[in-house]
Amino acid sequence: MSNYIIETEKLTKKYGARRVVHQVDLKVKKGEIYGFLGPNGAGKTTTIKMLLGLARPTKGSIHIFGKDMKKDKLAVLKKIGSLVEYPSYYGHLTAYENLEAVRILLDAPKSRIDEVLSIVRLTRDAKRPVKGFSLGMKQRLGIATALLGNPELLILDEPTNGLDPSGIIEIRELLKSMPKEHGITIVVSSHLLSEIDQMATQVGIISKGEMIFQDSIETLRKRSSSKIKLTVNDAQSAWRNLMSNGFKTDVVQNQLFVDSVTDEKIAEIVSSLVKNDYSIYRVEEEKKSLEEIFLELTGGEGSL
Amino acid sequence: MGRIMASEMLKIKRKMILFLIFLGPIGVVALEACNFGLRYDYLTKVYKDDLWGGLINEASLLSIPTILIGLTIITSMIANIEHQTNAWKQLLALPISKTKVYTGKALLAFLLLILSCVVLAGGIIVLGLLLKFGVNIPFLYLLKMCFFPFLASLPFLALQIWLAITMKNQAIPLTVGIMGTIISMYSMNFPNWVPWKWPLLVNDLEKAVYSIVASIVIGLLLYLVSHLDFHRKEVR
Repeated sequence: MSNYIIETEKLTKKYGARRVVHQVDLKVKKGEIYGFLGPNGAGKTTTIKMLLGLARPTKGSIHIFGKDMKKDKLAVLKKIGSLVEYPSYYGHLTAYENLEAVRILLDAPKSRIDEVLSIVRLTRDAKRPVKGFSLGMKQRLGIATALLGNPELLILDEPTNGLDPSGIIEIRELLKSMPKEHGITIVVSSHLLSEIDQMATQVGIISKGEMIFQDSIETLRKRSSSKIKLTVNDAQSAWRNLMSNGFKTDVVQNQLFVDSVTDEKIAEIVSSLVKNDYSIYRVEEEKKSLEEIFLELTGGEGSL
Repeated sequence: MGRIMASEMLKIKRKMILFLIFLGPIGVVALEACNFGLRYDYLTKVYKDDLWGGLINEASLLSIPTILIGLTIITSMIANIEHQTNAWKQLLALPISKTKVYTGKALLAFLLLILSCVVLAGGIIVLGLLLKFGVNIPFLYLLKMCFFPFLASLPFLALQIWLAITMKNQAIPLTVGIMGTIISMYSMNFPNWVPWKWPLLVNDLEKAVYSIVASIVIGLLLYLVSHLDFHRKEVR
């Protein structure tokens, strides 16, 4: 028995001749918030639909909770809560009735409805028809629906899509608290790196249907090599001066860049500049942002 | 299955579906009330041997297009509840088999239309009593004429629920259903094997049973095939 909650092997999906997902090995450990990242149209939603049994893989296998999705679909789904793309709801019913319609099918206790309503803070609006809800409220109702069955695994596809900043923060905080409080494992997809960066512990990046990176968020961050940027009064002459003193730097737009070196080396460069009467305005560290790494990984076609 | 039905019943709340289920038969009875009210002397002379039979026949004639149009609209509305916000992806990601989901929808439409037939039978009794046709009601004949046309329409119910559920664009199932209704109204002289003729309950054997049995068999067959098709289809 593997210790992965989700484990896919060479998962492939073709629509006709078009390859939407190609040989994806997704691995999610218990208690993680797994950020599933990729530009629009990279195959995130298709992968998630396969995880939920909504679409059939062309090739490859999916094991969730160690069970084969093909054979034990219903048993697996019993322990999963999901929200795929924009929320599904019955507009003519109230929030409470929407949850009740799903609760009956899950055979969950009635008290659970009030619990999930209070988790997503919709208790006050429970008796209103959902068609009058704002997108943020509908999205929260979707999350409440996903939580109804007390799931061990939560699969959320773009849960913050179309939300305003406060709604995004709210949902992010809600999701972050879940693994700690309820021991839930979460898979959350997004095309926004900043989103994933702020809550995920593990990251999988998919591009053009292929998994191009899968590791912890720290590993991804480590890739962001830093540079030291020096702003001086005459960059060109300073550069020449440093060169003659044996320091290798680059000049870009009247600024000096030093590739990541030790603190002592930086101190030597600075003191050399000072000795030669250059005015130093700024010495700062420039980190390559995760965004840039992401663009690099996805070949620059990402929308961020 | 009980849970599915409970959930389905909840979902049609405030959707005008129940309203239409009552409107259909009550409309038929109301039209017959006008018919008999305006031509009371003439019609009671035509049917003087069997007043109740006359009323039931007239109502039954009207009820056939009503059933066909009704089942078209009802199946479309039931399916549309899920189409509207593509709730299929939520519904089918629940630990419920696709077979049960599909059967639940079909069964809901069937039960609602049976309810319509019950209301029709009740309405005819009330109308007959108001028209002072006496208390000698031919119950067996009444039940036959109220329920048989619907039972003979089962292939259409299976067809419409299939089209309505598998197609997001409801214009197609509605067009097919309305065309079917019109065809059925002119199907008197069609060969007996044509399903559109079955709801009229007339054939060479002069036995409604022929139409009913054929209808139930074809209806069930269509249901099985369509359910397999639904099972095969992926959620968009």
